[in-house]
Amino acid sequence: MELNRRNFVKMLIGGAAGLQFTPLPWKLTDDIAIWTQNWSWLPVPQAGEFTLEKSVCTLCPGGCGIEVRKVDGRAVKIEGRTDYPVNPGGICPIGMGGLQLLYNKSIRFTGPMKRVGPRGSGIFKDISWEEASRMLTARISDLRKNGKPESVAAIDGNPGRSTMAMMVERFIKAIGSPNYIRIPSIEDTYRMSNIIMQGTEGPMAYDLENSDYVLSFGCGLLEGWGAPGRVFNAWGNWHEKSQKKNIRIVQVESRASNTASKADRWVAPRPGTEAALALGLAGVIIEKRLYDDEFINYNTFGFHDWKTADGTNHTGFKTMVLKNYSPAQTAEITGITPDRIISLAMDFIKAGAPIAIYGKGKGTLNGSLYECMAVQTLNALAGNINMPGGVIIHDPLPLNPLPAIKADAVTRRGLNRPRIDQAGSKRYPFSNSLVNNLTEAILKDSESPVDTLLVFSSNPAFTLPDHGRFEKALKKVPFIVSFSPFRDETANMADLILPDHTCLEKTNDIVWPTGLQYPMYGLARPVVEPVYDTRNMGDVIIGLAKRIGETTGASFPWESFEEVVKTRVMGLYNSGGGIVDYDGSAPAWKQQKQRGIIDQGYASFNDMWKKIKSGGMWYRPVHTYKNREGLFKTPTGKFEFFSTQVETAVYEYSKQVSRNKALKAFGIKEKGDMAFMPHYNPESAGKKETAYPLLMVPYEIINLCSNWIPGPPFLNKTLFDNELRGNDSFAEINPATASEYGLKENDRVIIKSQVGEIKVRISLFDGAMPGIVYVPSGFGHTAYDEFLKGKGVNPNDIIQAGKDPLSGQPVWWNTQVQLIKV
Amino acid sequence: MGLMHMKNPANSRKKPSKGGLFFFLAGLIPSLIIGWVIYPMVLYSKQAQPINFSHSIHMNPEIVDGIEGDTEIEKCLYCHEFREDGTFAGIPKLAKCTECHDDPDSALGESEEEKKFLSKYVANEKEIPWYSYYRQPDCVYFSHIAHVKMGEINCKTCHGDHGKTDKLPVYQANRLTGYSINIWGRNIAGYKTNTWDRMKMDDCAECHTLKEKEGNNACFVCHK
Amino acid sequence: MEEEHGHGNKYGMVIDLDKCTGCGTCMVACAAENNLSVRPDESDKQHSITWMSLYKISNGKKFPDTEYSYFPRPCMHCNHHTPCVSVCPATATKIDFNTGIVSQIYARCIGCRYCMAACPYHARSFNWWDGYFPKGKGLERYLSPEVSPRMRGVVEKCSFCHHRLMRAKTKAYTENRRELEENEYITACAEACPVQAITFGDLNNPEHKVSKLAKSPYAFRLLERLGTEPKVYYLSTKDWVRKFADNYLPGEFKPVTSPKG
Repeated sequence: MELNRRNFVKMLIGGAAGLQFTPLPWKLTDDIAIWTQNWSWLPVPQAGEFTLEKSVCTLCPGGCGIEVRKVDGRAVKIEGRTDYPVNPGGICPIGMGGLQLLYNKSIRFTGPMKRVGPRGSGIFKDISWEEASRMLTARISDLRKNGKPESVAAIDGNPGRSTMAMMVERFIKAIGSPNYIRIPSIEDTYRMSNIIMQGTEGPMAYDLENSDYVLSFGCGLLEGWGAPGRVFNAWGNWHEKSQKKNIRIVQVESRASNTASKADRWVAPRPGTEAALALGLAGVIIEKRLYDDEFINYNTFGFHDWKTADGTNHTGFKTMVLKNYSPAQTAEITGITPDRIISLAMDFIKAGAPIAIYGKGKGTLNGSLYECMAVQTLNALAGNINMPGGVIIHDPLPLNPLPAIKADAVTRRGLNRPRIDQAGSKRYPFSNSLVNNLTEAILKDSESPVDTLLVFSSNPAFTLPDHGRFEKALKKVPFIVSFSPFRDETANMADLILPDHTCLEKTNDIVWPTGLQYPMYGLARPVVEPVYDTRNMGDVIIGLAKRIGETTGASFPWESFEEVVKTRVMGLYNSGGGIVDYDGSAPAWKQQKQRGIIDQGYASFNDMWKKIKSGGMWYRPVHTYKNREGLFKTPTGKFEFFSTQVETAVYEYSKQVSRNKALKAFGIKEKGDMAFMPHYNPESAGKKETAYPLLMVPYEIINLCSNWIPGPPFLNKTLFDNELRGNDSFAEINPATASEYGLKENDRVIIKSQVGEIKVRISLFDGAMPGIVYVPSGFGHTAYDEFLKGKGVNPNDIIQAGKDPLSGQPVWWNTQVQLIKV
Repeated sequence: MGLMHMKNPANSRKKPSKGGLFFFLAGLIPSLIIGWVIYPMVLYSKQAQPINFSHSIHMNPEIVDGIEGDTEIEKCLYCHEFREDGTFAGIPKLAKCTECHDDPDSALGESEEEKKFLSKYVANEKEIPWYSYYRQPDCVYFSHIAHVKMGEINCKTCHGDHGKTDKLPVYQANRLTGYSINIWGRNIAGYKTNTWDRMKMDDCAECHTLKEKEGNNACFVCHK
Repeated sequence: MEEEHGHGNKYGMVIDLDKCTGCGTCMVACAAENNLSVRPDESDKQHSITWMSLYKISNGKKFPDTEYSYFPRPCMHCNHHTPCVSVCPATATKIDFNTGIVSQIYARCIGCRYCMAACPYHARSFNWWDGYFPKGKGLERYLSPEVSPRMRGVVEKCSFCHHRLMRAKTKAYTENRRELEENEYITACAEACPVQAITFGDLNNPEHKVSKLAKSPYAFRLLERLGTEPKVYYLSTKDWVRKFADNYLPGEFKPVTSPKG
């Protein structure tokens, strides 16, 4: 009985044998097998109760209906609504990825902050809302006390007619500063074109769905132009195989974009010559007398030559076009053969319900004013203004205006000072904002005229053409406040951050989705609890105003932003005849054509308000087509081919200088009557230099964010590897051009302009016009996180923004460049 | 007996030393004890539920009035309900409790546990952090309504007579896998006598194989 | 090998390439619906994970006659000799003949990637890394509990959103129904497509739009001659687009339209 080696072995054998008769080894094996399937560091999404919350997407002014799928209050998916008239069913890829913008902590401000690192470094320190508000209001109050309220300026990217934009403008004005400056967009071009030609203030409304021939001048129909959800839906309907109507889509654009490729016909004029093409088509229509006589004779001014009371002879549009834009002349300018010009014009005018629409890509930035007007003449010639499938003229949405601001002596004095950007002055009579002029004004003097710059819902340091100059200007501004929810390039330059909610967390409205043919109001409501310590910008503005007090505070008598929205929506109720629900059985644009009487479906204002809040919509799909009585509110009361307002503006300005100098100052090269009519004004950014033989044209794609919103990381999956590879983005050039420069696919090149250079790789693209370098917009962030920062380059880096004639807005669509192989 | 003999290795080889069986058993018995008694104790962590809940009291119509339902299943479903979309709510949320226990200051019964429940959770509107006995791994999808409503399977078939218990069992989790003891079964040997004793894939498959005609044997029916 | 059932459902998809605009919403919807991991660099297409992929094709003509089109490519859910299923040594991927869905069970997958080699459509992706959800970033907060996130070392692919089938069935059971109506179960991509290019439904049900479209003279499938019987059909009136569906010897391709494409 001794524990010797032998017995010890026996004991071990006994133990081992014993274990075989216990569950231990078997259970352990099983558990280990299960354990190997456990990846404790992988997230396990919590299950719970599923709910669906309806709202409206406010990531762009298109305002699609969305439905957020939630699990116990946590948002897990965004989907399109089938019960929303704008976009029955689908949404765009950016909206679809919206949750990544909501939750991604590294691209958002999680609360109010103040800058501690150098400007641009993005190093901030958390502060309280109390402290943040105190810092800003003390500064503004001081400026008011010193009688310099006008040195507060705001840059606002909220859609033009939205209540949020109205709040920002009101806040700036109530402080006593006229310097409310908006980011340029295609809406500006539409607005000015409508004022000049039609005298109307309403939005551009294209009845696309009822048209059978859509002639698009540069509109990125499939790139995100207009209200993308609506345009895509229309595209689907146009291409329905059971569709009986012969619907044709023609795209005018120099590059084979998705729209151009998918269109029935692609016409590729040299970039920047679209106006000449439109006028060339007009020439064919006029020459063959195929225009709508009735409309031209009764509803237009300046078509035929005329003589004024004092006996001066004037050239009309007809003569001007026939003289300057014959097919041969147009071919010379645009590069489109005369045959094609003629056949295109004939196809257009002979279609049942043709429409010519204008845009540049998504419409993130402005277009060319004369170009927009030239396109509009085609609609006039076709007589499709206020006709089914044509351009509809509407009054603005009948929202209640807000009461006039209260103003004390300081405010009044401040508001009487000239705007820093000169918009609305005699030199820029039709523009309401010129952000590039602001940049120049800040850079001009040793001391910046802007002391405190407030930035709302925009990222000009990324989206503006020639944003390098803008950033230089920013560095001179003593104090910058950003209200952005995102850690964007501009916010990184700010001294103080008062972060707004992101789109799913706040009340916000869409006043008339861009380009829609019937009046529509969309209301987004918070569908998730705020994820971080942010606040609705509208509420913050009210709070700031009240804190400043005096008449500034008195101008904001409301308790909350929602109250302001409700006050405005009251106007919709008073106007009568709107609908607040949509069941999808008949598309809204069909209802419009049927001109039926509509059942509003609400009894009182409160009932309607409740329904708008939950359904997110008010719209009125009725319209009296064909009625042109009192439609045009120009000085002549007619559609003006020859703009009397432009003539007057030049006359007014020429009181200071000579007429020729006035025209030159306006950027108009023509001298005679042609100056007051839509015409082709060769324009490019910067002077022509032979050292820069190529043109760079920025282009937009639907799955890349070129506006102020950061792109959701999901979008990176949708980019091809000849769009982005590693951190390199690509420039598309025609293989013929490439071989001239000895370039192959994937070669690295420097694109150099007169203001800078960018490094890209080459993608050989048959759809690129020879001689043009196409660079996508939306890459090249220097802010944000690993999904966006440092990926690709931003064409805005090297755009030398010129001035669009008449409007004064930037010319960004063609820049002279040279290519240097690396 | 000389020491010489004892020390002769050749001799000892021929003649087994005494106590061999003893040492064998000395190894065998402790290992059996380790395997059957100690191992299960070490393997599973024990957590008491935050408060006790008596199913039997709530299911007794003489004590609790208002748990409606003609059958036992219906009574179970009164609290463990199907949501509108057909998904199963599982352990009820506090809102379900407060349908009856709505006033934190007046208890409906006399138990200390109820008072604790009222003061700690109802008064603070705080959800009770229950331990779930039957949580399956993330890769598993299970539709209660398919089984209970369409398959007409009793709750009891998988969950046992839970409705008749007065005390909530202690929650035990496998330290290696993190899963509840109810998944592998309380019997450490893995034997099951009742259908509710275990909830592994084989147990699901057992039934699914029997009812294959109904065609619910695709992988994705149970996996996500 | 199991017998193919003629009865039951046969879920399938028809994608109208004339409508498809290449916007990528289907890809994003799919990624959001199915908890796809997004890594900081998604540009290496050999390593990035997509269930629905887009291919851009060109008619090969010179400017200005160039034309582009797109092929959205989910898993084809091959109905016959399903290549991935026949090679999987772990039975991690299987076809269900009651629905036609080819499923992939991640917990079962051993990561040998034989299926990826077998798949003629490149519809499968391998997880070279764990799902990318860095701590403290908050990205895990939008994950759906209906689809299990994947770990490194397993293969994943389009599931025809079979969790949506289960979701729809669960809902139908509340109304005591076992059969689903058309459109009660559709995939996330079909639902999201803003031009309604994707139609989803039961190919065995003659009433369903999808089975009508699949019989269209413009309908075709990818690599049809392999005999895998994909349940994803494409529609195109353009011959140059249709030609991309297979490798044709000269003269082998039969145009269905007048040759203008």
